[in-house]
Amino acid sequence: MRRAKASAAYRIAFTYSTAFTLAILLLGIAIYIAADAQFRRQQDAALVDEATALAHEFNEGDLPEIRRAIARREGGNTINVYGYAMFDRNGHRVGGGLNARKPPAGLQDIVFVDPVEGADRARAYATDLTGGFRLVVARDSESMDGIDRTIVLIFGGAFVLVIGLSVIGALLLGGYLQRRLDGISGVARAIMAGDMAQRVPISQRRDEFDAVGSALNTMLDRIGQLMDNLRQVSSDVAHDLRTPLLRLRNQLEQVGRVEGAAERAIEQGDAVLALFAALLRIAEVEGGALARGFVVTDLTLLVTEIAESYAPAFADGGRTLCWSIAPGIKVLGDRELIAQALINLLDNALLHTPARTQVTVSLGGDAHAATVSVADTGPGVPPGDHARILNRFARGEASRTTPGNGLGLSLVAAVTAAHGGTVAVTDNAPGLRVTLRLPRVSAA
Amino acid sequence: MHILLAEDDTETARFIAEGLTALGHKVTQVATGPLALQAASDATFDAVILDRMLPGLDGLEVLRDLRAIPNRVPVLVLTALGGIADRVDGLDAGADDYLVKPFAFVELAARLNALARRVPGPEQATRIEVGEIALDLLRREVTRCGKPVHLQPREFALLEQLMRHAGRVVTRTMFLERVWGFHFDPQTNIVESHLSRLRTKLREGFGGDDPIETIRGSGYRMRADA
Repeated sequence: MRRAKASAAYRIAFTYSTAFTLAILLLGIAIYIAADAQFRRQQDAALVDEATALAHEFNEGDLPEIRRAIARREGGNTINVYGYAMFDRNGHRVGGGLNARKPPAGLQDIVFVDPVEGADRARAYATDLTGGFRLVVARDSESMDGIDRTIVLIFGGAFVLVIGLSVIGALLLGGYLQRRLDGISGVARAIMAGDMAQRVPISQRRDEFDAVGSALNTMLDRIGQLMDNLRQVSSDVAHDLRTPLLRLRNQLEQVGRVEGAAERAIEQGDAVLALFAALLRIAEVEGGALARGFVVTDLTLLVTEIAESYAPAFADGGRTLCWSIAPGIKVLGDRELIAQALINLLDNALLHTPARTQVTVSLGGDAHAATVSVADTGPGVPPGDHARILNRFARGEASRTTPGNGLGLSLVAAVTAAHGGTVAVTDNAPGLRVTLRLPRVSAA
Repeated sequence: MHILLAEDDTETARFIAEGLTALGHKVTQVATGPLALQAASDATFDAVILDRMLPGLDGLEVLRDLRAIPNRVPVLVLTALGGIADRVDGLDAGADDYLVKPFAFVELAARLNALARRVPGPEQATRIEVGEIALDLLRREVTRCGKPVHLQPREFALLEQLMRHAGRVVTRTMFLERVWGFHFDPQTNIVESHLSRLRTKLREGFGGDDPIETIRGSGYRMRADA
């Protein structure tokens, strides 16, 4: 019961049924008042009609006439519910069996003496006749009270039934809500206990609970992916840092014994720092907080600038860099991040291709997206590795010995995702083509 | 030069102070924000090296207070925060330059030199002359001994940086920041490939005399007498 008290499900169910019961109660009271008033109005109208009919008979004849009329009514075979009395101007009852004092004219409640029950209440109508006589027609209040009692009885019974039903309904509804929620919190507890594979059961009804459940399941899937990713990255970092640190240690050991060892150690230290800088940059970009600083960036200008800046470096290495850049293409983004992504692609093209390779930078776009691609005619990447090379520390077998930390394309992927775009790695036949699609800003 | 060094990490402070003293500078050290603000307001320094994370008063607060006085002393902010937003905050607070830890000492020395000897004025100059080389910023023209030298836009920008800091070292990252606006280091040395073309163009037809020197492990310098 304590659990039921603290339960929102039960609270909602009971609040609902209490409100429902109160509404029924109010409805009952209103019906009672309306019905009672209506019955009394009808009774009053009947009293007036009866008195008027009798008065009519008196006007046609005289006192004995009306006495007979009254006696006829009182002693008739038909069950008569009315009592009658005739008073003269001195207040003496001169006709009728209704034992009461002379009332004032009009509708009123009177007290009369019932031959069986003694003093009793009645509803009466008194009207003046010619000759100073006053005719009184009355009806015992007992009948009206009986009607009222019946109404109250019927309604009271119904009300008790309603209370009973709504308590049962509230218990059932509360229990149902509780059970559905228990399913969800049970899964949450199991996950807290370490069982990440648990998922909220989804019923066939596709109701709100199922909607919440499937949203939670999607969230759990995403968290699971992120945790896997984090685990992977942590172990990669640990593994990939060991190698350069080991190298650094060996170079430091040679300092003072081998010429140039100190310089090489510093270079190795710089390489480790660069690795950290790259990891932090990827984390920053993937963190997603950068989007607030995004501005409209002229991609045409930026890609041209970078292509021109890289052309001499390509020429120095015996390669050619060509570019084909569409005018007036703008995106919402961070100039430097996009530059870094494109530069990483160009760095890769320089590092992983032989001399005389031709590299092409293109910028194009349709109504919705800008497309930046870097394509080379080098040895390419086996198709099976196309998706993998975007991962952190992924390095093709062929590039194990060349410089680099396997983070360049990860940053490209992170930057593109931060801009709401996609990266595609395809075969350039021969060579490799990496294409970035970024949502475009309409030329304004 | 008299330099104020506000850095709370004793190891980093010692490393910087020793290096600067070895270069012949006079260094005053403080380790908290309030002391840094007091020292910078009381005495005249040629430059201030300000760590961003100082106890007592955050480095950027010190900088804002200093600029509010107003005190225009050149300030180089040192920080472990390398994020894009962090850098913008630093420059917004009134920093003249921003260096992310860890850094090479030569980088710090070169930037400090560039800051401290920045004479107010030449930023607005439309013509810079160093020795026999003249650079016209309005007409985007370069001449050596009066003969025109045809440069690509980025070669022109590199030469402008070298000439503005003639006699002083300009590092690779300084070029990347000022010519390209990049605050990261590409694997490919695009500075080198453009500079070698610039140097070839400046030498050709002028007797092979190279006005630009490569300072190993540090950067490039334009000879003041070129």
